[in-house]
Amino acid sequence: MNLNLIEFAFFFYMFVGLYILSLLLLIYFPNKARLFSYPKGKPEPVSIIIPCYNEASSIGLAIESLLKIKYPENMMEIIVVDDCSTDNSAEIVCNYVKKYENVRLIVNKRNSGGAAEPTNIGIRAARFSYVAVADADSTPEPDALLKMLGFLQNEPKVAAVTCAVLAKRPHSFIQKLQAIEYVVIAWGRKLLDLVDSVYVTPGPFALYRRDVLIKVGLFDTKNMTQDIEIVWRLMSQGYQARMCLGAAVHSETPNRLRAWFKQRVRWNIGGTQTLLKYKNLFFRRGMLGAFILPFFSFSLFLGLLGLGIFIYLLVRRMLVFYLSTSYSLSANSAIASFQDMNLTPSILNYFGISLFIAGALFTFTGLAIMKSKYSYQHNLFNILFYMIVYLTVYPVIMVTALYRLWRGTYSW
Amino acid sequence: MVNSKHAFWQALLVAVAVFGSGLIMGFFIESYRADAVKMNILDSEIYVFDEQLRQIILDQQNVSCTLAKDSLFDFANRIYHDAEKLENYDSASKFSESFGILHRRYDLLRTLLWQDSIKLRERCQLSFHTVIYFYEYNPEDVEMRARQSYYSRMLVELKESYGGEILLIPIAINMNLSSVNVLLDNYKIEELPVIFIDERYAINTIISSDELERIIFFNYSS
Repeated sequence: MNLNLIEFAFFFYMFVGLYILSLLLLIYFPNKARLFSYPKGKPEPVSIIIPCYNEASSIGLAIESLLKIKYPENMMEIIVVDDCSTDNSAEIVCNYVKKYENVRLIVNKRNSGGAAEPTNIGIRAARFSYVAVADADSTPEPDALLKMLGFLQNEPKVAAVTCAVLAKRPHSFIQKLQAIEYVVIAWGRKLLDLVDSVYVTPGPFALYRRDVLIKVGLFDTKNMTQDIEIVWRLMSQGYQARMCLGAAVHSETPNRLRAWFKQRVRWNIGGTQTLLKYKNLFFRRGMLGAFILPFFSFSLFLGLLGLGIFIYLLVRRMLVFYLSTSYSLSANSAIASFQDMNLTPSILNYFGISLFIAGALFTFTGLAIMKSKYSYQHNLFNILFYMIVYLTVYPVIMVTALYRLWRGTYSW
Repeated sequence: MVNSKHAFWQALLVAVAVFGSGLIMGFFIESYRADAVKMNILDSEIYVFDEQLRQIILDQQNVSCTLAKDSLFDFANRIYHDAEKLENYDSASKFSESFGILHRRYDLLRTLLWQDSIKLRERCQLSFHTVIYFYEYNPEDVEMRARQSYYSRMLVELKESYGGEILLIPIAINMNLSSVNVLLDNYKIEELPVIFIDERYAINTIISSDELERIIFFNYSS
């Protein structure tokens, strides 16, 4: 064998990628007819908490979309917890409070700098035993709540339910890429649900049992992704989270690269914080220790290793190119020739191409399945850009997140 | 819902099966390529024996030196291109060890070709030039790799421009061939890569194509 360490690492990558793809497809095929199904629920009182900080432009729409939810009015209260906004968010909410009996406003005494503290305040103040948490810039589909509720009513061990988070009105290129990403994530999360491995109940819209949240200590105010941490804590105490693919919430996505990068760094910091917090549960506590923790750690390790290898190869190649070109220039000779290109593919190339095709099939299958339920349009260029460029930026985000976590220079 | 927990071990089996099939296919592809190169090298070996026999006949019967030179250049071109293909296959090879061995055989053939060319030039008083390029096979060092990349590019240009006047013979020196080691000792070549012209001038600095041509054709060395 002529394999060096880097090529071994590459084969390892290929194998892990192949395993994950096989796993997801093997989960998908026996369940494909039931992906969008959900246990039938009956309306029971629900408190919907909206943490809010400087959301004047969207909070009104968020409240109105919740008021339009197909749910008995007397069985639903909306609690907006203002985290000391500096804009007129509280004033806008006040107008709704005056108009609707089931809308409440709580103003936090201080700005907490995150969503966890105002959410916890709302949960404590909630009157009902089921609580939904919604973002101030998200709009759940009218039937989402009832579809999700069935999971809590039918499975006593289920303490949290999430739904498909879809991008709201994607206009810019970066938003269109996120729209694709959200759809693929939603499909993937449903597949993980089928093996009891939902690891996050994203902020845009999630439903919980209030008593269980209080019992486990509510959302972690120190974690940057309290919506991941809470699920891991619930799982570590024997509860489960479920994914209702038949229900959806439309959420605003960052429309600038800088804002997108900042958001993703925050997600990665939170994910790593959670990983470190629960590191002792490896191979313990059901699917959390058996799959989610190893899966997260492995993804982090592989992402960093991949970036390291990529940078090493790139720097080495550029150095060789730079030196040989500078020799050529100093000697006034040709700087490149056809002979420099080796067009003979190696087995590594074949593996890489095969895995890319398999990944593309997975992505396109996910998009097609989701399109059958939620109508939207993604163009081919955007999908390919998402697969080839967008996803490859992730290791860079990971490194930035780890650096900021290490330096402690992070904020919401 | 269907209980999908079995998917974890099933996926492992699928991944092992698909990955294993890929590896086996890789072995087959590389074996096929190695076989193709082996056939070329066998052919070249027959050719070299044939050539040596012909040299003997030429020596004995005083047959045309021009014919002998043409024959030598044809052979040099042939193994140059065969070896080029071998280099490409070798750099794409991940499993097969046979490319390294084939490389050694080609280096032996090229050394033999060089020695034959010296004899022929002396015997027939021919005016062609030998340009022997000693290089390191698969160097780790970045500077060495860059320098070799530059040299090989320049030598390819030279060969394309003066194919009928120079005999370009690249020889890897780290293939553990005692004959090559003896020659390196004999010519006191220590630093690599080096372009060795007409068994007289060893160049291991960065020079331009023009300077190289001057050294080859006008025996001019600054």
